[in-house]
Amino acid sequence: MDWTKQIGRYILVMVLQVLLFNQLQLWGACHPYIYILCLLMLPITLPHSVDMIIGAAVGLVMDIFCNCLGVHTAACILLMYVRPYLIGALVNDKDRLNEQISLRAIGMEAMFKYVVILVVLHHLTVFMLAAWSWAHIGFVLLETFVSSVITILLVLGYNTLRYR
Amino acid sequence: MQNLLKILLRYSNFLVFIALEVAAFMLISLHNAAPRSSIFSTANSFIAWQHEQLSEIGGYFSLRSQNEQLAAENAALRNALSAQDSTQIWHYETAKVVQMTTDELHNYLTINRGSKDGIVRGQGVRNSDGVVGIIRTVGPNYSVVLPIINTHTNLSCRFAKNDYIGTLQWDGKDSRFAMLADVATHMVVNEGDTIVTSGLSPVFPEGIPVGIVENSVLKEGDSFHTIRIRLNTNFKRLKYVEIVQNAHQQELEQLQHGLD
Repeated sequence: MDWTKQIGRYILVMVLQVLLFNQLQLWGACHPYIYILCLLMLPITLPHSVDMIIGAAVGLVMDIFCNCLGVHTAACILLMYVRPYLIGALVNDKDRLNEQISLRAIGMEAMFKYVVILVVLHHLTVFMLAAWSWAHIGFVLLETFVSSVITILLVLGYNTLRYR
Repeated sequence: MQNLLKILLRYSNFLVFIALEVAAFMLISLHNAAPRSSIFSTANSFIAWQHEQLSEIGGYFSLRSQNEQLAAENAALRNALSAQDSTQIWHYETAKVVQMTTDELHNYLTINRGSKDGIVRGQGVRNSDGVVGIIRTVGPNYSVVLPIINTHTNLSCRFAKNDYIGTLQWDGKDSRFAMLADVATHMVVNEGDTIVTSGLSPVFPEGIPVGIVENSVLKEGDSFHTIRIRLNTNFKRLKYVEIVQNAHQQELEQLQHGLD
């Protein structure tokens, strides 16, 4: 695995997330969290527990920028826990996943399912935990839908441009 | 014993997952209860500094409206100065908003004053139009404010016309409006009634404007009015705020702790 590439990608998405996407105050329910791109594309060569610790660290840094300590941490740990099982279910030939999980490595259909499931799971967890009550469930679901669509388009768009 | 070890090894990933999630949930509940550490928030010096630089860039585009706001504030201050009484309990510290959100359920804003400027958790924040919120987390140079447009906030308010007390809450929908709870049905509520701070807590002095009644609904069987308040403070355009410092706050807190 190429660590410089992974860390470079992490810094790129964090800069975009903090300077651009966290500043979006256009529509009330639009909060795309594109920083999870770096977690989604991480190769699955590392031990599962190390994967989850990386997720926790990435989530914790994001929490500090959002004033919501623990929320992104919990969502990212969950994402990293589910990830290898999902890949196992979607992809047969795992030799191609040593570099990164990308459109080129697993194909459009598997990549689409993979990104949609994990992004919706992550965003739903974040918005549910941030609301911390059932009183706003309608708004939480709307927020999850709108934000997930944007994140999914951006993640798949990045893959189409760079790894077709 | 060996079997137990085998089982533990087999499910080690799941156990790591559970342990990490428990830690994350502890962070969430601790932070929801009382965010003590400013390091893990936007009051963190580096993160607040970054937001401040960003708002500097955006600041140039709103100079005209800021000028108007400052002129209005000058006039109001001059009025206040002439009406000032001799017992000065309240002190004001001005601050600039370096970061804020207005369209989430739990909105926050970060200001460029911290413990070095005498800011303490629990102090009130207002601007020239009305109430903004309450100081929640304090760092050395920056602080995080819990605004009234956060679903965690409760603010004691009263009607200016007859001193009837209610609690201001936010429903998470629109940063221009909030709800006034605990107003019993025998009270007559009219559109346009003015709502001000009650002065019951040491956070705000009495009579700071909060908003006006937009509409009031009384459903059959309810024992309280459902009152929608149009807030005086325009959170979408908030640039400068004042922190309200009560010279007697320490004494009042000590008294209240003594009662517990």
